[in-house]
Amino acid sequence: MSDIIVNGMSFSLPLFIIAVGGIYSERSGVTNLALEGFLGAGAFFGAVFTALTAGMFAATSQLPMYLSMVVAMAGGALYAVIHAVLCIKFKANQVISGVVVNILAMALTDFLTSQINAGVLGQSSDKFVLNVSTRLTFQPLASLPVIGGFFTNVYPFEFIIIAVAVVAWYAMYKTRFGMRLRACGDNPYAVDAAGCNVARIQFIAVMVSGALSGLGGMCFAYSVFGNFSTSIYTGYGYLAIAAMIFGNWKIPATLGACLLFGFARAAGYSLIQYLGLPGAYSDLIMILPYVLTLLLLMFFSKNNRAPRALGEIYDKGKR
Amino acid sequence: MSEYIVEMRHVTKRFPGIVANDDVSLGIKKGEIFALLGENGAGKSTLMSILFGMYEPDEGEVYVRGKKVEHFSPNHATAMNIGMVHQHFKLVSNYTVTENIILGMEPQKRLGGFLPVVDIKNTNQKIADLSKKFRLEVEPTKKIEDLNVSMQQRVEILKMLYREAEILIFDEPTAVLTPQEIEFLLDIIREMRRNGKTIILITHKLEEIKQVADRCAILNRGKVVGICDVAETSTKKMAELMVGREVSFTQEKSPFRPGEVKLTVDHLVVKNADGFPVVNDVSFSVRGGEIFAIAGVAGNGQVEIADAVAGLTKVSSGTITLGGKEITDAAVRARNRQGLAYIPEDRQSWGLILDFTLSENLLLRRYDQEPYCVKGVLHREKFDEKSRQLIEQFDIRSGQGEKTVVRSMSGGNQQKAIVAREIDQDAPCIIFVQPTRGLDIGAIENIHRQILEERAKGKAILLVSLELDEIMSLADTIGVIYNGQLLKIAPADTMSTNEVGQYMMGVKE
Repeated sequence: MSDIIVNGMSFSLPLFIIAVGGIYSERSGVTNLALEGFLGAGAFFGAVFTALTAGMFAATSQLPMYLSMVVAMAGGALYAVIHAVLCIKFKANQVISGVVVNILAMALTDFLTSQINAGVLGQSSDKFVLNVSTRLTFQPLASLPVIGGFFTNVYPFEFIIIAVAVVAWYAMYKTRFGMRLRACGDNPYAVDAAGCNVARIQFIAVMVSGALSGLGGMCFAYSVFGNFSTSIYTGYGYLAIAAMIFGNWKIPATLGACLLFGFARAAGYSLIQYLGLPGAYSDLIMILPYVLTLLLLMFFSKNNRAPRALGEIYDKGKR
Repeated sequence: MSEYIVEMRHVTKRFPGIVANDDVSLGIKKGEIFALLGENGAGKSTLMSILFGMYEPDEGEVYVRGKKVEHFSPNHATAMNIGMVHQHFKLVSNYTVTENIILGMEPQKRLGGFLPVVDIKNTNQKIADLSKKFRLEVEPTKKIEDLNVSMQQRVEILKMLYREAEILIFDEPTAVLTPQEIEFLLDIIREMRRNGKTIILITHKLEEIKQVADRCAILNRGKVVGICDVAETSTKKMAELMVGREVSFTQEKSPFRPGEVKLTVDHLVVKNADGFPVVNDVSFSVRGGEIFAIAGVAGNGQVEIADAVAGLTKVSSGTITLGGKEITDAAVRARNRQGLAYIPEDRQSWGLILDFTLSENLLLRRYDQEPYCVKGVLHREKFDEKSRQLIEQFDIRSGQGEKTVVRSMSGGNQQKAIVAREIDQDAPCIIFVQPTRGLDIGAIENIHRQILEERAKGKAILLVSLELDEIMSLADTIGVIYNGQLLKIAPADTMSTNEVGQYMMGVKE
């Protein structure tokens, strides 16, 4: 049981912060299928930073990890500019732009990883090896029955994610900017008539989306993968989109959806171990969150309400 | 300093293919209700959009409170205390009234002394007070999606008042309202004048102008054709200026010479999805040269009769005979070939394909026939040739002639296009359902003239209308429908408007 909680939380939370990124973009009216690309690109920037500064820190220092997360957020935001420019400035189809941004991220980071490894670090590799993050256990809380799992082997980034998510929630629901952002997703013409700059709000929203996805991607790189390579593009971005839809584009409900996916996945792993099935079966269990997504979407999507102006190309001249 | 709070001098605005405003000059005084009158597409909305900063004029100048306007944007307009209620409301549907009103200038408070938070709670009270002051009866905490159109409009008004607008522009505010709501709105407008606001009312409805406006500028095809004192000008004079020619409110009707029966409806029953008979045992016939009008309050089954005859609704029992042949179960196209033309109630969803060009829409009934289609290949040049002829004949106005995408045309011209297409088929029987809904006087007169011309040619005409005036001025025979049944069928000249009204309410007999 404890294992399920430990693994569930460490998977759910990065997924959640990526989904929050998706919510920022979509609540502002910009369809975002590019989360996958954002998280990969963000993690790439973070990993490059770690690889290039490896000599400057002690081998056991955790500082590079925290710094790389900041870099990943900045890098994700920077990479998201591509999507923002295509969708907002050039009014491109947002679905196509998202797909293109994903493909580009995978190809570009793969290429650059090999090039930087060969050219700068002088080694032949298609990945940046990262130390897996340390884990913290809080006694005596960890000894509590059942909920002790929440305090055992916790990655430090889980706290960072929770803090960032709270700020994101506050900014979206309590501040001027958030109010305008959500209004853009419903009726951008109303926002324009109120004298606000719709394009600017959406641009910022997409960049925030990139930053949060980058953070989530970096956390995955430091936990699930232990390195940065193209294997980071395993569809977690799409899973985050599903969580966002399942969470009805609301931050608390999306957290619930992410926890559900994370725990389903963790429970699957525990099941394999318990049954002593051969390793090949773990791949089968990996599809569990996706099967769950399909089923849930089938039953619950009709109650869902996407932002009204989602994916609509905002054209000021049109009335 | 001039006596005007707003002055426009020689304003010209062009759009591709059309001059929306052509050398317009006018002045509006502080504290008056100033109306802008004109047909659909006369350039009223464009002119006021310039004042509100949504467009920049190509030529000419705008002065507000004697100062020349340099920057055109809604923000600058708001800063000059100008507000506008648009025809299509600009509201966020999942926000409350208050949230919509404060959007863009949200008041903030500091949570725990430092965290900025939008202050909704205190604002709710302010907005409730404002609503009370102008008698708007709006509840600040309701969500927009739960409000009806009239309420939403009042939210838009509150939005302007909250921004301390002194000059308020209303773009066709009554188009979407019921008669009672219109009264309510006009009262609000008077109340605002009493509070010293300047009001600009864009409309094509003369009665409203007569009721509230002090002065009125009349636009025709982008030009100001007259500025008059409403109290001293007759409605007829204003209508003439607006349309640009003499308007006859009552049409010249040739004597009634009925021919043989063209369309017979016998014991017709139409049931709705729940199995309820919305048309219940209706029988009538229409002769050549006769206008048979079905009068009734909306929703009593009149539209279903027309749809059943046109073949859009399934008939439960009874028969429909057209020109001696039974067509009760015939396909729409078969009825069409048999000699039935149909002008539907909802022109945008049933009458036209909005994203097709005018030329394509005008040929929707004939595109598969020679010479427009030879051996399965369409001949566009024949389409265009025919279209140009119809455009000329029916005076359909549009930006780029037959190449215009229909969506961009005004409602009146869209309707003209449908009427042109249907009349051009030369069918012996024509159904008109609400043919003048939402049109201005000029367009209404035009359509009425067309209907009477077809009558003079000996066509059998079935007219369904909710406008009693329209029925009284056009019909030869009136059938009054109530609850799916024809309560009364009688020659038009034997019934007074009052009597027909009573049958419509189901009162008589």
